[in-house]
Amino acid sequence: MNDQRYWNPKTETMPRGDLERLKLHKLRSLCSFAAEKSPFHARAFEAARFRPEQLKTLDDLRRVPVMTRAAWMESQAKTPLFGDLVAAPPEAAIRYHLTSGTSGRQPLRVLDGMKDWEWIAECWCYGFWAFGVRPTDTVFFAFSYGSFIGFWGAHYCCEKIGSLVLASGNMTTENRVKQIVEMGATTVCATPTYALRMAQVARESGLDLPGSGVNKLIVSGEPAGSIPAVKRMLEEQWGAKCGDTAGMTEIGTIMIFECDRQPGGTHIIEDHFIEEVVDPETLEPLPYGAEGERVVTSFGRGFLPLLRYRTGDLVKKVPHTHCSCGRTFDLYEGGILGRTDDMKLIRGTNVYPRAVEAIVREFDAIDEFQIVVWRKDDVQDEITVKVEVKPDRGAGADAMLAKLGGDLAAAHEGLRFNLERAEYGSLPRFELKAKRLKDERRRA
Amino acid sequence: MDKDLLGNRTTEVEREVARLYDALKALARRADAPPCVARNARKALTCLWQAANDLALVHEQLYDLGV
Repeated sequence: MNDQRYWNPKTETMPRGDLERLKLHKLRSLCSFAAEKSPFHARAFEAARFRPEQLKTLDDLRRVPVMTRAAWMESQAKTPLFGDLVAAPPEAAIRYHLTSGTSGRQPLRVLDGMKDWEWIAECWCYGFWAFGVRPTDTVFFAFSYGSFIGFWGAHYCCEKIGSLVLASGNMTTENRVKQIVEMGATTVCATPTYALRMAQVARESGLDLPGSGVNKLIVSGEPAGSIPAVKRMLEEQWGAKCGDTAGMTEIGTIMIFECDRQPGGTHIIEDHFIEEVVDPETLEPLPYGAEGERVVTSFGRGFLPLLRYRTGDLVKKVPHTHCSCGRTFDLYEGGILGRTDDMKLIRGTNVYPRAVEAIVREFDAIDEFQIVVWRKDDVQDEITVKVEVKPDRGAGADAMLAKLGGDLAAAHEGLRFNLERAEYGSLPRFELKAKRLKDERRRA
Repeated sequence: MDKDLLGNRTTEVEREVARLYDALKALARRADAPPCVARNARKALTCLWQAANDLALVHEQLYDLGV
């Protein structure tokens, strides 16, 4: 039981039957807690005529009503600021984070208590340890440390592991790559897009990243980390092996990680989450190998109990035997494969076209608009909003565009939107369902 | 604690984790502890909860203790 390859040998190598029993135990415990403490869940349970005592086997999970982001956001709109999903007194929280909303300006707000915040770091530990991060490592975080939860948990995970942590905060890209080389960082954490950008800046600055001490690049925030072509590019440009992780603000941490065997998939942290793969139309469970929507139940964040939460992520689950590392945790082949909805991830930030539209439509001088997602220099994801200003409202258009850019950024964790004024009548018009989003990024 | 959540016999390390976890809970419950004890006991408890939960010894919420 003292195998140093695993962060937690007991559960990471636990026989599947025991793992299922453990998940059932935690599910019962969390459902009972949620029924008692979370009005959101108490209401949903009653509507579905579900009682936690009905959970006799893990198959009974299907009795638990599914939860959607829209319902969560509605609860926050009705009961500001945090809604009635919260199962602990808000004054017991020590952290507040947010993510962009699915519509308009309203963000999704999350709170964490002391135990939950430590648990967030704990889940990262499973992934970082599995990819080889140890106390002897020096880990650099290319992360802005704002209200976006991003790599916050990973930072504390590395402190817990005992690595030397380099927090880059608001440094410029040039200064970041310089510090990575100067400090002899062995591990760098960033979004895949930003990792490519740093490699580009390093080349322009004459810094030899492949010859530096970096031997591990751990990425998160975008599906690109599991796309073989992008991974190859990152590994070549950094001279380091590249490991993928994925999480979401709604759970606060990662739920999947790539181990150092890199079998072409990411292990699910199965003692802390139930990850279902379902048909997005019928919500029926899908077998191994079938692509479907991720539905997550998270055991660690009791402040905000997430039960059967529909994520909109597309995944394909395969058995643990696809990897030779010895873990009994199943995998998602190819990581996160895409989305069931129209959400776009731009430099780690969620962008919902309908949320952009809601803000654009507050400017009555704008007649038509188009959202274009593109890739700069084949490296950096960008988002441009092209707008047509009504012919009689041209005066003051520049100031209006500046305000629109500011409002869009404020609703999206500071993400920079490029604003472009299009010639009147040049953008497409729609008679039926409008398609105002163009994604010009090359598929890998 | 002789058995984990699955009914398996606990190891010596697991029993030590469980003992410390219970002791920290008891310390966090005390009303007579000065802030330096009360808050650091809670901080330590957040860490021990992770170990106990990882090892399938406990799965409970601690919000009544402000943790």
